[in-house]
Amino acid sequence: MEENIIVNETKQYIVIRLGNEQFGIDIKYIDNIVRMQRITRVPMAQDYFKGVINLRGEVIPVMSLRVRFELEDDVIDTKTRIIIIKMDSQSKVGILVDQVKEVVTIGTEEIEKVAQGGPEGSGQYLDGVGKNGEELITLLNIANVISD
Amino acid sequence: MDVSQYLEIFIDETREHLQALNEHILILEKEPDNQDTINEIFRAAHSLKGMAGTMGYTRMQRLTHDMENVFSEIRNGNMTASDDLVDVLFKGLDALENYLDNIVETAAEGTEDNEDIITRLNEILEIGTGKMKEVTKEAPKATSSSKAEEKPAVDEKAKYTSFVYAEHERHAIASAAQQNMKAYGMTVYVDENCLLKAARAFLVFKALEDVGTIIKSVPEIQDIEDEKFDFDFSIAIISPESIDKVQKVVANVSEIKEVVISEVSLEDANNQDVVAKEETVDEEATKASEIKVTSEEKSEPAQLAQPAQQTSAQPKQGAQNNQAKAGKPVVNRTVRVDIEKLDVLMNLVSELIIAKNGLVSIGGANREARTGFNEQIEYLESITTNLHESVMKVRMVPIESVVNRFPRMIRDLAKKLDKKMELYMSGEDTELDRTVIDEIGDPLMHILRNSADHGIESAQVRAAAGKPEVGTINLNAYQEGNNVIIEVVDDGGGVNVDKVKAKAIATGVITQEQADAMTDKEAVDLLFRPSFSTADKISDVSGRGVGLDVVKSKIESLGGDVECHSTLGVGSRFIIRLPLTLAIIQALMVEIGTEKYALPLGNIQTIEDVEYNEIKYVQSKEVINLRGSVIPLVRMDEILDVPRKDETPSSLTVVIVAKGDKKVGLIVSSLIGQQEIVIKPLGKYININKIISGATILGDGEVALILNVNTLV
Repeated sequence: MEENIIVNETKQYIVIRLGNEQFGIDIKYIDNIVRMQRITRVPMAQDYFKGVINLRGEVIPVMSLRVRFELEDDVIDTKTRIIIIKMDSQSKVGILVDQVKEVVTIGTEEIEKVAQGGPEGSGQYLDGVGKNGEELITLLNIANVISD
Repeated sequence: MDVSQYLEIFIDETREHLQALNEHILILEKEPDNQDTINEIFRAAHSLKGMAGTMGYTRMQRLTHDMENVFSEIRNGNMTASDDLVDVLFKGLDALENYLDNIVETAAEGTEDNEDIITRLNEILEIGTGKMKEVTKEAPKATSSSKAEEKPAVDEKAKYTSFVYAEHERHAIASAAQQNMKAYGMTVYVDENCLLKAARAFLVFKALEDVGTIIKSVPEIQDIEDEKFDFDFSIAIISPESIDKVQKVVANVSEIKEVVISEVSLEDANNQDVVAKEETVDEEATKASEIKVTSEEKSEPAQLAQPAQQTSAQPKQGAQNNQAKAGKPVVNRTVRVDIEKLDVLMNLVSELIIAKNGLVSIGGANREARTGFNEQIEYLESITTNLHESVMKVRMVPIESVVNRFPRMIRDLAKKLDKKMELYMSGEDTELDRTVIDEIGDPLMHILRNSADHGIESAQVRAAAGKPEVGTINLNAYQEGNNVIIEVVDDGGGVNVDKVKAKAIATGVITQEQADAMTDKEAVDLLFRPSFSTADKISDVSGRGVGLDVVKSKIESLGGDVECHSTLGVGSRFIIRLPLTLAIIQALMVEIGTEKYALPLGNIQTIEDVEYNEIKYVQSKEVINLRGSVIPLVRMDEILDVPRKDETPSSLTVVIVAKGDKKVGLIVSSLIGQQEIVIKPLGKYININKIISGATILGDGEVALILNVNTLV
């Protein structure tokens, strides 16, 4: 390794739940978290896009992380949330999740990289696995998740 | 003071002058004897040179200077505009444009000297005129200054003669005389149409400071900077230069109408504050050296009436013409506004409309006892509609700003391809939304290049086919309903359908069976497929197969569409259809299954109730016979994959939409009504089918998708 001195940086992640698994999303990409609302279906779009919502006058596409990760389709309940992601200055996109749990701070040394190879579709969405106390949190590479 | 604050004016005006030069040199090429055109060219080149010099762009000034010399010779009839010369002149214009581009980006003109062009120009000048250069140079001035009837006016105009010099100013004049310098008094008249008088005055001062020292000005410099003067100001200056030189420096600043100048002696300065009347005596003495120069703008206003040029791109010229007729200045009153500010305004209007729609939906919910409320809503509705229209108009720009570079392009192409062709344009004043204007240039250029390269045949082929040797390309723009149509029509060879099919089969785009089943129209549409070119040889004009598909996708991204009609041997016609506005439209809201959709009203012809038994089948497709014409039906719920409603209505609601002369009937579940909707983009990450052109937010906050019915026809 070129860097002998490891700078112990910390990052904040928002922990979300999909089924039994917990995922972390880097907080800097998160614009907003909103409750479930009426989604207008968009015909002939990618299957993991549920449709579009109206966020204070802006039309924003919403994708289902469950469908994206090839899990069972979403069951909407009172805990369901839409996380509005904003990458740089580009347009926003919403992500449908089962539940938003908490904000955690994870140091870089607590993150284990996962092998990138993996089967098609899984590895590229992940940045690594972080430890928060006893719990393991899968950290999402959100840029890859939202783009094709 | 520095000149950077005038950089924007300089850039705008230089562009204007360059465009004018381009247009007029094109005319000159065809009519070498057109005196008006030559004058116009000379004037533009002259102003350009003066402006570049004032701003300190010496390379630009040098090149324009040499071009101006050539124009001057042409104007004096000493040489004619040969093909060769016109080519070099165009090269010179391109070089000037490069300088300008550099200036726009870095505020510096760059380091390219364009020696080759300058050398060529001077060679041509030598050949064309022999050695008579120096003699003829002064000729035009002599004629314009010897207008006898204007002489009496000169005295009144020389306002500087009534200067009252202070002690130190007199002292300065006296010491100037000792140092072999001269003192001049002058009165500078700014053109009445000038929008930024202070800037012009500043340029005059700047120019004068280069040749001497200004000792006095009336009004004070500060007042002039604050634009506290009418159209003239007077200056006293001490300079080692000759009177001609000083006067020329000032006259070179554009929009300066007139400079009245004479030498001021110490006696003048001393006497003037004693008895004003006596000045006339001194006046006589100085009159001999008095020169009155009227710049070209002034001396030839009446000849400027060239109908082709009297469009809004040259407001200055237009205004002058009016001035000549009406005798009072008519100025195009314009304000430059940052497009972002307009966008903000537009968004506010959008939100107002959404809010209004919200009120409308509340009002509709409980109709009794709400007549007063409804009246207010209707009032609000009419206000927002009017507001929208006026904001929309602010954003509209004539397409002229895009198409005015095409004649030059076609001329260059004709030379390059060794063909004969002419471009005729009409409807340049048709207006389009600014955002569309910015994007439409490249697609149009592609189509024109395509027509010039693939469409128009060489002169020999044309002659053999019994056509006129010179090919014609027409570019027509006009408004049709909510659309603007731009047509590019050529009388060239047309599309060889068999060749297109063969090529498509060879590249695997279609199979032999598909090709056999294809109509000619469908075959022509193959041209718009990616990577398709029938040109046998690849030229650097077109033929790389990256043209028409890019054109198509670009135009579609603007919410428009493009089609091509072609007859072999007769020519081709490209029709580009663009939406008039991009932001707010009138739409028919419909329900399809359980979902709501918006159909742009501009496309809708009629709405029909159709009984089930009226549906006929042609080639196993559903059609109806509507008042004699057979119209295919499209079941929207199937196309859009909408979950069906349980109940089946007793009859079908069919919305008839049209594109050009083609019609299609869209089967919808029910009608909601007409509404003004704000078009919102769907965001970048979601892939949307071409059938959906955007989304809108309804009064209750729900999102409805807007259908692009053009794709269904």
